[in-house]
Amino acid sequence: MAVTAPAPLATRERTKRRRRLRDIAVGWSFILPNFAGFALLTLVPMAGAFVLAFMEWDSFTPPEWVGLDNFERMLGDPTFWIALGNTAYYAIGHIPLTMAASLGLALLLNRRLRGLGFFRTAMFFPYVTSLVAVAVVWNMLFNPTAGPINQALEFFGVADPPGWTSSSAWAMPAVIITSVWRDMGYYMVLYLTGLQAIPTEYHEAAEVDGANAWQRFWNVTIPSLRPTTFFVLVMITISSFKVFDLIVVMTDGGPGRATTVLSQLIYRQGIIENRFGYSSAIALVLFVIVLAFTAAQFTLQKRKEL
Amino acid sequence: MKRTITAAAATVALAGLVLTGCSGQAAPAEEEGPVTLTVSVWNYDQTPEFKALFEAFEAENPDITIEPVDILADDYAEKLTTMLSGGDTTDVLTMKNVTDYSRYANRGQLLDVTDTVNAMDTDKIAGLDPYQVDDVYYAVPYRQDFWLLYYNKGLFDAAGLDYPDHITWDEYADLAAKLTDDAANPKVYGSYQHTWRSVTQATAAAQTDGDLLSGDYGFMDDQYELFLGLQQSGSALDYATAKSQQISYRTMFETGQAAMMPMGSWYIAGIKAAIDGGTSTVDWGVAPLPQVESGEDTVTFGSPTAFAINTKSAHQAAAKKFLEFAAGEEGAKAIAAIGVVPAYGSDAVAEAFTALPTDDLSVTTFNEPKTVALEMPVSENTSDISTILDEEHDLIMVGEASVGDGIGAMDDRVTSEVLG
Amino acid sequence: MTDTKLDEETRLGAFESTVTAAMTAPEAERVVGRRPRRPRGGRRVSAARKALLYALLVVVVGLVFVPFFWMISSSLKHDNQVFQIPTQWIPTEFVWSNYVDIWTQIPLANYLKNSLFLAIVITFLQLLTGSFAAYGFAKLRFPGRDVLFVAYIATIAVPWQAYMIPQYIMMQQAGLVNTHLSIILLQAFGAFGVFLMRQYYLTIPDELCEAARIDGMSEYGIWARIILPLSKPALASLGLLTFVGVWNDYMGPFIYLTSNDLWTVQLGLRSFVGQYDAQYAMIMTGSVISVIPIVIVFLLGQKQFIQGIATTGLKG
Repeated sequence: MAVTAPAPLATRERTKRRRRLRDIAVGWSFILPNFAGFALLTLVPMAGAFVLAFMEWDSFTPPEWVGLDNFERMLGDPTFWIALGNTAYYAIGHIPLTMAASLGLALLLNRRLRGLGFFRTAMFFPYVTSLVAVAVVWNMLFNPTAGPINQALEFFGVADPPGWTSSSAWAMPAVIITSVWRDMGYYMVLYLTGLQAIPTEYHEAAEVDGANAWQRFWNVTIPSLRPTTFFVLVMITISSFKVFDLIVVMTDGGPGRATTVLSQLIYRQGIIENRFGYSSAIALVLFVIVLAFTAAQFTLQKRKEL
Repeated sequence: MKRTITAAAATVALAGLVLTGCSGQAAPAEEEGPVTLTVSVWNYDQTPEFKALFEAFEAENPDITIEPVDILADDYAEKLTTMLSGGDTTDVLTMKNVTDYSRYANRGQLLDVTDTVNAMDTDKIAGLDPYQVDDVYYAVPYRQDFWLLYYNKGLFDAAGLDYPDHITWDEYADLAAKLTDDAANPKVYGSYQHTWRSVTQATAAAQTDGDLLSGDYGFMDDQYELFLGLQQSGSALDYATAKSQQISYRTMFETGQAAMMPMGSWYIAGIKAAIDGGTSTVDWGVAPLPQVESGEDTVTFGSPTAFAINTKSAHQAAAKKFLEFAAGEEGAKAIAAIGVVPAYGSDAVAEAFTALPTDDLSVTTFNEPKTVALEMPVSENTSDISTILDEEHDLIMVGEASVGDGIGAMDDRVTSEVLG
Repeated sequence: MTDTKLDEETRLGAFESTVTAAMTAPEAERVVGRRPRRPRGGRRVSAARKALLYALLVVVVGLVFVPFFWMISSSLKHDNQVFQIPTQWIPTEFVWSNYVDIWTQIPLANYLKNSLFLAIVITFLQLLTGSFAAYGFAKLRFPGRDVLFVAYIATIAVPWQAYMIPQYIMMQQAGLVNTHLSIILLQAFGAFGVFLMRQYYLTIPDELCEAARIDGMSEYGIWARIILPLSKPALASLGLLTFVGVWNDYMGPFIYLTSNDLWTVQLGLRSFVGQYDAQYAMIMTGSVISVIPIVIVFLLGQKQFIQGIATTGLKG
């Protein structure tokens, strides 16, 4: 190091700065085509909506600044707290179960076998089947008296099987089961893609080291899948907090408020009641919650990489 | 510091957006010659009443062409709100219900049409009152549905029972029990109450002078007990099943699975179409909605549908002409001919209404004088209260809350969350 | 707690040495050379396990298809038979005419054409801009990158309803309401594609880029000639998911497209939902028809999921 004469400090600083600028320019040139469209069409209106969180607006008359009123109102709104609790309940059930089911399917179908193309396609069907059909059939399966699920439970000696979608206590588990069923094919696609990125050499090398199937899964597959798992985890977390469609068609938030979730409240207060300020305030809270989760997941992942 | 500036900039930008979005324009001078009038409608191809009205209007006003702005019925109000907030200039806006109407009117999005209304034969237009906001009309109803009792004559004949002519709710329960046939496949229920809360709540409000916005819902007690009793005894399909399977009331009645069903008059056209199309063979009739006491005038409920004019319309004179036509006798005859109940009532209109079965009871039901209460009264709290009533209705009907507890919860929640 | 953590670290360590061995050690090369080559993208399965696998799959598929079967069965009924109690799995009378009538009751062919046009254009743009931006996030280092990335992702969490109206007003000002362009602009630049592609690029070893950089290739060249060809499975799944997303989107087209000529399939299906009731048999008929293009796209695309970079990628 000391052998080569150091370049004059100023020059070195300048080159460094120039390289830094160049890095930024090149980096942004890649991101810009997507970001420009995204910023203009999503970020700007989104920022507008977040400003609305501090206003009162009915979408027609000019907005009025109300400071933190909307958030105060939220604190005193029992439906908000119920919806927040339900959203968390759904997320806690939906996230691990969907990840496990989709990873399981992906491992099962990541083979070159005759006919597996058909099965891979089949697993995607729940995601594209009309939501009305999904809601009807699952409600039928969950029917408390005549439904096959409860008949099976009774057969296995469950004396008092749950009321599922017609009971406040069991409606959410029923929704979670249905949502796992519906989403597993979607995330399976992502896992399959991730599995493709693992070079077979890794497995072969592990096999040479004497690792059995389980050890290979645990020591090769799982760590190599980390970027995919991170992606799937973040996406499932976000979609869990945003869950809307399935609940609307399956229970519409009921019975009572047993399955009412935050995005329903945002929809109802905004588009239906035209209280866009309050609706935006709830959306802002939801955004902050998800941002916190995503940032935490991102930091954790970074730390593991080091 | 920097953050405040950003926030301020965003505020300004947003305010700019909003203001330009709704900067009003002065009503332009009325032009001569051919005019194209845009009218917002739902499901144009599937809702024949609009086409019938437009064609009749165009025939009478050859220099005006009507262009429907087709919006899906499912989310009609959402789209209309969005369009108007963006400064849309569609001339005539169809008001799907009174609640939405009061919102648009209060925001100043609708043109004052009091003069047009006053020039009409207002005595003959049913459902006009709810459209009066502070002595001003911003819309005029062209259609007024009301609730009545549909019954299956075949099932009554088979059971050897008299048709439900001006019955009470107690008699209704009796008949329902007698008409239920467990042995039939599929099972025949004596009655079917659809899952909408209005079936219970609006009926009770109309017939006991209850106020659905009051925060005091003791008046619903009897009606809930009656309907719950029917479902517990098996004389009605249970609510939990109907709701979770999204049962269609049309299926229940058209396939003969329900002998009696309270439902709105819009279904007259629907069931007639099903029979004409060969998908149902049910022999049906209508009777007045059952009452609490016998021997009194029929009290029922309903909801009017109206046309209003956008304040941004560039063809206000033509639009007013359309309103006058649609809500008047000629418009009424045009929609009555396809089985839709017009708001305007006269003998000629009744004659044009040919979808109705011709038996005496059906005709009396349709033409007798009756009190039609508004399904849901209008105030700024209507939809908040409606949500609460829906949620608690759900809990009572699935059996998670007793009638007393459920009504108590309605009282408490409406009082503390909305009125308080 | 500590135990598990330690455990994991040991495992990770073991994994990393295995990986490094596989990637650099000459033994690994020799091992690979010596052994018979495995089929790419999959592993050997014995006959008994194969039978078990198929049996398991058939059971799962049965469960997966139940609602789909109901959908087909309902599409062959009259409207008033769809929601009968108890459920009729096989229609008493097959109403095949639904499949004929639907083309005349609504302009379905035009709706399909519009949906297809939007799905293809948006998918193409999403793939292009998404994979391009992902390269910036995955393979380049510049200040502010990670913060920008996290913010990017978190915006996915904001429900569309929350900013729908401000967005609509902007579009209205720009005169884009009631054009296909509005839908394209709204959906082609999503953060989802960027995220998906970035995660995939992370699994492509940086050494490949480094080597190309030393050879004097520009970053754009590396993206186009090295990274893009290697990311076929990810492009396939992003393409597929975007296509399905656009195809099934209802609210966006509903709010932005007013004239009937521009409508998409999902709007067409909803037009069977009336003010007081719905034509369920027709809705199901339309749903069955609208699923077919997706199934075709999927069958074509899924091949990509099992022939990735597995062996070829690393030697490059």
